[in-house]
Amino acid sequence: MKNKLLSVVMGVTGLFLVCGPVFAHHGRSNYDMSYTATVKGVVTGFEWANPHALIFVDVTDKDGKVEKWTAETNSPNTLSRQGWNRNTVKPGDQITLIGHRVKGGGNYINFSKIIFADGRELNPGVKN
Amino acid sequence: MRNRWMNPIFAMLAVLAFSSVMLAQTAGKSGAKKPQTPARVPDLTGVWADITDSTPTPTFNTKEDPSFQPWAEAKWKANKNTDPGQKYSNGKVDMDPTVASCFPSGMPRLMTEIFPFEIIQIRGRVLLLFERDYAVSHIWTDGRKLPEDPDPSYMGYSIGRWEGDTLVVDTIGLKDTTWLDRTGHPHSDALHIVARMRRVTHDRLQIDWTFDDPKAFTKPWTGQSIYRYHPDWTLEEFISCEDRLLHGGESLEQKAVKGHDQ
Repeated sequence: MKNKLLSVVMGVTGLFLVCGPVFAHHGRSNYDMSYTATVKGVVTGFEWANPHALIFVDVTDKDGKVEKWTAETNSPNTLSRQGWNRNTVKPGDQITLIGHRVKGGGNYINFSKIIFADGRELNPGVKN
Repeated sequence: MRNRWMNPIFAMLAVLAFSSVMLAQTAGKSGAKKPQTPARVPDLTGVWADITDSTPTPTFNTKEDPSFQPWAEAKWKANKNTDPGQKYSNGKVDMDPTVASCFPSGMPRLMTEIFPFEIIQIRGRVLLLFERDYAVSHIWTDGRKLPEDPDPSYMGYSIGRWEGDTLVVDTIGLKDTTWLDRTGHPHSDALHIVARMRRVTHDRLQIDWTFDDPKAFTKPWTGQSIYRYHPDWTLEEFISCEDRLLHGGESLEQKAVKGHDQ
């Protein structure tokens, strides 16, 4: 089932995305950097906390099954300098996240780009 | 009529104002300590951050490591990142007292962290405010000496003096539980830091470092850091390990890595 879901939500692009400070706190070793993952879903929560803000996402596969995902990004101080605040992402938002999935197949990614339903893209901060 | 009364009142006010200045000066002269900060010193105030945009340098010297005593050499080998191409990257996560165990970064590691710091100059003191951990370094510029045997702390004890356009800062009294920088260079509680801080251009702050630590190094280690001025930034807040506190002692990332339910 997990593999089936993967085929739906994960886009393997082969790009090696360098995310800079997004990974600065804990390095890249926990993440599969060999491919870029895409996660599409509906926001259920946004945790404005250190050292990484977290977006909680419900991802529904083509059979209607919902899986809970957690998406981690930069710290609130860095996000603030990028123009974000605690209301930038709201429950109910339909979003697409581009990033790297944690090794071992858990539903957890570290994202470097967020795309909203209206096509708006936000960068969580590649500069410190 | 009004003017006739106003003139003596103004005169009295002028006398009172002048006498209060005199009193203040007298008190200043009789004070135990006379601030030795020159009347005009270079202005280092403002928010500064590592000059590198994407991946700030995690150490003070990328050309050579400290010349370690044997015990410190063994610690360095255990701490350093051995991934190919990662020589000057963060040290091993599971060995890192700040990342793995939530200890404060402390000095001088804070000067290699990716987040900015702010310099504030006040009478008798220069303050370094750090975004990370909300830490503060108090650099005393009132002429006092370093204490003989300070109790160790994360930020240490710092005094500063101006040599021309350079603020020369001596720091001792540091805990040996911190890493010297983000790469994992170890140090002992005998570490004596000399930082020569100079605003080389309007938007560049250069710090030349000397790390003298006879317990850990066979000779002093030197380095240099360059920071960029960010006039449009204010310090935000960065607190380590809030994620663990919010989620029962382990971050959701840690749980995901271990394959546990989030």
